[in-house]
This record gives sequence, structure tokens and C-alpha cells, in this order.
Amino acid sequence: MVEAFAVASGKGGTGKTTTTLALGMALARRYDVTVVDADTGMANLLFHAGLGDAPVTLQDLLAPDARDADGAAIDVHDACYDRHGMRVVPCGTSLAGFERSDPARLREVVAELAADTDVLLLDSPATLASKSAVLPIVLSDRVVVVTQPTIPALSDALKVQEYAASYGTGIAGVLFNKVRGDLGSVGTQAERYFEGPMLGSVPDSDAARAARDAGEPLLAHAPDSDAAEAYRAVAAGIDPEPNAAGDVADRFRSAVVPERP
Amino acid sequence: MTGEPTPPSAAPVRERLPRGDLVGARVATDFAAPLAASLDDDLTGYLRLEPGDALLGIGGSEAVITLESGVPVLAYDAGGDVDGPAALAALAGTTPVRVERYRLPADALDSLHDPTADGNDPFRVAPGAPARELAGDDALAERTREAAPAERRAAGGDHDALAAFLADEERVEAVRREARAEARARADEWGLGDQLAE
Repeated sequence: MVEAFAVASGKGGTGKTTTTLALGMALARRYDVTVVDADTGMANLLFHAGLGDAPVTLQDLLAPDARDADGAAIDVHDACYDRHGMRVVPCGTSLAGFERSDPARLREVVAELAADTDVLLLDSPATLASKSAVLPIVLSDRVVVVTQPTIPALSDALKVQEYAASYGTGIAGVLFNKVRGDLGSVGTQAERYFEGPMLGSVPDSDAARAARDAGEPLLAHAPDSDAAEAYRAVAAGIDPEPNAAGDVADRFRSAVVPERP
Repeated sequence: MTGEPTPPSAAPVRERLPRGDLVGARVATDFAAPLAASLDDDLTGYLRLEPGDALLGIGGSEAVITLESGVPVLAYDAGGDVDGPAALAALAGTTPVRVERYRLPADALDSLHDPTADGNDPFRVAPGAPARELAGDDALAERTREAAPAERRAAGGDHDALAAFLADEERVEAVRREARAEARARADEWGLGDQLAE
């Protein structure tokens, strides 16, 4: 079985990458999990996962006729790193690599990854302004919507939901992140407007910033922090639904080709 | 007229705001620049805001945010006749906005900003709330919060504006409706039309 989730927010700065890795680690206790940095234009998952020096990344896979330093052809598994109980596919940040990359190849890469995992988490771009940015939402089965408890962030989270609905993608739930103090009635009020459940609220945390600086996922760096505990509770509310792996792979393989970013 | 004249301290804040000296006016594409400039300038006074729809002659609304040493204290939206966090909810997303910055003597706002005075409370906003809710700028919100007196930093109320926004069902539905229309229009523009759900 495999289910593909886009982790999306619409707005930047909501802690989406921290969330993707935290949910990935928490779900990896029960499932075989693959996390992909699908934000190829503003990649940063590699820094959160301590993969800043990764010799092969998604960027290399997106380059036509990609070869490693020895001239050998590379394949998808060369960009997969086993970290913290899950498989992590980081994306590089070099300008040359970005210019060489062909986003159309993302379909094939993700299709191959989907054939070999239970849960696929796509860390999505923090925008809805381009075809490449919405593609993870278009292709995924469900979206985990990440928001902060502010009007601009929640408005963008609602937009993500409407984009998902337009493409027939479900909502796995909504997560309030970087929450300061008590949310009060906000969680219940917001739940009325979202199709999925309120998955929980993660407190604003120095531990999350420290984890990022240390190049470790939060659940590895500060597993006993309140934020880590909250993420584990959120993950417990996500029940991956089985799909035939071939179906998901085929869906990605046959998906529309995005324009160059 | 019936009864006693309204005591000055109980009159609505909007009727008690003294007129300050205009120190700048501009049309801003977002709220971050005028809020950041006020904080950097340590401005005591107020911002008078005319949202975009008013600029186009449709709304005619105006809003005010008072400042003490650059930190927002009170807000009201005369167009929607709402105060405090609800005024921020009404203003959110209304750029471009014309912003006039007014300076007042340091003690001119003392009675308006006195937290124990009758009638002031509904107008109060959390120090970082305008930066967070209007500008979506976490760093500026944090900087503003840190510049606030300790008792205001601890006062809470951080989620009041969002709660006011979520209580306005028509407003939220409008956001959803516009997003659905935008999603479909862009799908056609990007050649994703055949990926759309029925």
C-alpha cells in the first residue's frame, strides 16, 4: 500500500519542513515512510535533515542524463538517504543544478519512490502561484494543511484546501503550528471551515529552531520537547489509507508536465 | 439630550483621539512597511489607514491604530464600526492602503492608553497583532512584542483577531469562494484543466 500526502501551507514560514520531517519520523514507527523535498525552487529540507553535503540529491535526478562524479548514470535510490528510520530525498540548492533540472522528471522520480513505500510525504512549495508549486497538491491523495494561528496564514490554508478540492485531492487534516499560548476557541472555530479534522496544535518552540540549526529533525534533536510530543499526537491522528502502489505510481507517471520553474 | 454629559473617559476612543502632527503619508502595498517604520522611529501617535476599497471610492472607511513608542496599543475601524481585534480582522487583506502617520506629545495618549480607564478595553490589541495579522510578518511581530512594556507582553490576546475573523462566516466563505474561482482559472491557464475534479 502507499498513500501520498502533500504537506502544504500556501504561506511561507509556517514551519512546513519541520512538520514534514516530524510527521515522517512519527509515522515511521508504524509505516515505511519516504519524505521528499518537492520544493525544488526553495529547497531547505536537506539542512533540516543534516544532508547539506549529500552527494546526490533530487536536483541531480531532475537533470537529464544525470551522472555521478565518476560518470556513472545515477538512479532514484542514489538520492535516497536512510535517516531517523525513514527514507529522505533532499533537493540540492545549487543554481547550476536548478537551471539544469527538468521538472517534468519529478513525475518519474516520485512514481519510482511511490512503488516502494507505505507513506510518501511531499514537502510542498510555500506558494500557490505556479504550476510546479501546485503539482504536489494535484498529485497527492490527501493534503496535510499546515497553518499558523494568524489571519494571513489561515486564509492561505483555506486557499490550499480549495485548490485541493478543485483537483479532487482530499484533506488529511489541519495542523496549527508555532502556537503561542492558548488557542482558545480558534481550533473549534476553524474546524467548521475545513473538510478534514483539526489534527492538533504544536507550540511555538525554541527546540524547533535549535533542531534546524543542528541539522536534525525535531523528533531526533529534542524528542522530549512539548513540540515533539504534539507532533507525535498529530501523527497519531493521520491514518494512511491503502492504495495499490501501482496506481499511485501510474498517477505520477502519467501526470501533467510542469513548466520549468 | 438626556441625562448627564458623557464623562470624557467613557467616550469612545475614536471621539477622544487628539489630532496629531502629520509626519508622513503614503500608499503602501502591505502593512509591514508603515508598522516597521513606526517601530523604528519610536513613534508615539497613531496611524490613520484608508484601505484600498476606500481609496477607490467604494468604501469610504478608515481605521486607526494608536502607537506608544512604536508599539500598537488600540485599534478601531470606523468603516465597519468594530474595535480592537475585530478591527484588525476587518483590515486584514485590504491592501493597498493609504497610511498617514501622526505624532502626538508623549502624554497625549495617556488617558486613552490607561488600561484601567472605562471604555478602553475593547479597543486594545496585542502588541504584535497588527504586524502578524495585517502584515503576516512574524519577525516584525516578535520585534514589536519585545519592544512592548513587560505587562503588555504578558497580557495575551494573541488569537483574538483570528477568532474575530473566523466568527465572520460570510468573510471566510468569500475567501474560499475566491480561492475556488482562482484555482479553476489558473488550472486552465496552466493546462491543468483536465486534472480538475468534476
